[in-house]
Amino acid sequence: MAPRIQPQRVSNALLPYLTSSTSSSTSSITPTSTPLSSPILSRQFSVTPAPQTRLRRQMFLWLTTKGAALKHHTPGETNYLTGRDKDDKSGGNPRPFPGNSSFLSESVLSEELRNEIYVRVVEKKKSVRAVSVEFGVDMKRIAAVVRLVELERRQRAQGKPLALPYARAVHEMVPTTPLAQEGEHPVYHESINDLPAHPSTGAQIFYPVPESRSFNRVDAGRVFSGAPALEIDVAAKISHPSDLIDDIVQNPNSIEWVGKGGNARQVLQPADVRIPHPQLVQLERDRKAFPNERRTVTERHNERLKKQEEAEQKRREVAQARREKSVQHVEPEGGRFNYRIQDAKFTKETVGVDGRAPWAPGRRYGIPADDRKRGIVKIPTRVEA
Amino acid sequence: MVLRIRLARFGNKHTPFYNIVVAQARSARGAKPLEVIGTYNPIPKRPTNLYDGNAQARPYKEVALDRARAQYWLGVGAQPSDPVWKLMTMAGLVEPKPTTFHKA
Repeated sequence: MAPRIQPQRVSNALLPYLTSSTSSSTSSITPTSTPLSSPILSRQFSVTPAPQTRLRRQMFLWLTTKGAALKHHTPGETNYLTGRDKDDKSGGNPRPFPGNSSFLSESVLSEELRNEIYVRVVEKKKSVRAVSVEFGVDMKRIAAVVRLVELERRQRAQGKPLALPYARAVHEMVPTTPLAQEGEHPVYHESINDLPAHPSTGAQIFYPVPESRSFNRVDAGRVFSGAPALEIDVAAKISHPSDLIDDIVQNPNSIEWVGKGGNARQVLQPADVRIPHPQLVQLERDRKAFPNERRTVTERHNERLKKQEEAEQKRREVAQARREKSVQHVEPEGGRFNYRIQDAKFTKETVGVDGRAPWAPGRRYGIPADDRKRGIVKIPTRVEA
Repeated sequence: MVLRIRLARFGNKHTPFYNIVVAQARSARGAKPLEVIGTYNPIPKRPTNLYDGNAQARPYKEVALDRARAQYWLGVGAQPSDPVWKLMTMAGLVEPKPTTFHKA
C-alpha cells in the first residue's frame, strides 16, 4: 500500500530547537518560491502527519520556558536537567536525574591529567602501580589511558581527523579531575584499593572458636574455603594478615590449594593480600609504628615496591617466553597473511581416552556443538596478545 | 588403502574451521578419522596490542599441529592433501610441493 499523503502542510516546530542557529530553519530549507500546491516538496522529514497532541504541546511549552535555560551551557559547569544546585559548588550540580537525587555523576579525567599519566608511564618509565598511587587512579584506568593516548597520537601522526570540538564540549559539561599544579595537594580521582566481595564469603558459617585462640582474617579465609586450620606454630608466626603480603606477591603460586578434581580451589586469602595495592597497608602500618622515621619508612616502601615490580616483570617474561617457545611464526613472502603454528599434543592425556575430552584441541566428533544453545556466552572474555 | 592427512571442515556457515586429520582416503569428510593431529582456522585474526613498532603487522591465521604425530604418519606413508601440504611446508615438515609451472 502506498503511503497516504495528507494534503495539509506539516509544521516543523521542533526544527529551530534542534539546530544551534536561532534563525528559522524551516524557511531556510524550504525555498519560499515553492508553491504550497505541491505538498510533498514542503515536507522535509516525514510524510505522516504530526498532530499536536497534549504531550507535544507540553514539550514545546517546556522547550520555550524551562528548557530554554538548558540550551546553552556554562563551561566548567554541568548542564543537567536538575538545574543549578542550591549550595552551588564550583563544578555545578552533580545530580543529572531529577527523580534520583542519590545518583551523583562521577568526574572524568581532564586532558592535562591523562596526558600526564601517559608521560609518566611511557616516557618516564614509571610503573602503572606507582602512577596509580600518585594520582589516585585505578590501575586498569591507567592502562586504558596509556592505550588510548597512544592511539590518539598515532591518529594524529597519520593525519586522521579527531573529534576535538565534541571532546571539548563534553569536557566543559561534565565534572573533571584536574591535574594538581606544583606544590598543590593532589586531587585523587577515585578509590584505588576497592575489593569486590568474594562469592565464597557469602556463606553464613557457624564456626565455634575457643576464646583462648586468636582468630583473624587469615583463619576466616581458611574457614570460608573449607581448608583445615593452620598449624599452631605456623599461625603463631603471622602477627598481622599483612605479613603474608610479601610472600604471596613474590610468588602467587605459593597459595595453598584445597579440594579435589573440579572442586579444587585456592585458599581464600585475607583482604589485605587481595586488594590491588597491598603494599599501602604495610606502608600505613609502618607509619603508625615509626611516626618519627618518615624517611626510613618511605625507603622501605619504595624497596618493597621495587621488589614487587621486579617479581611481576620476571613472571611476565617467563610466561611470555613459555608461550613463544611453543609458537612458530611464519611470514610467507608475497602473501597477505602470517601464520602462527602452535605446538599441540594430541595424546590420551590431552584428548582423553576416547579422544573426546571437552578440553581437547580441535573440534570433536559425535559431540553436539552447543554454541547455539540458550545461555552459552559467546562474548570473548579475554584478549590474546 | 591410502592414508591421507587432510582437512575436515567444522564450524558453521561462513565460519569455517578445520581439524587436520589422518583418515582413509575414501572415507567421508565428516566421518570419524583415525586421528586428529591438528587444527587450522582460516579466518585471519588481526593482531592486538599494536604499537608504533608493529603497527603494520599483517593479520595472522592460527594453526595447531602435533609435529611428532605428523612426522610419524608421514613416515608410514600417509599422503598430505594440497592444503595440508602447504601448512606442513610452513611448519618445516615436508619439502614444498613441486610445481609444473615456474613463476617468471
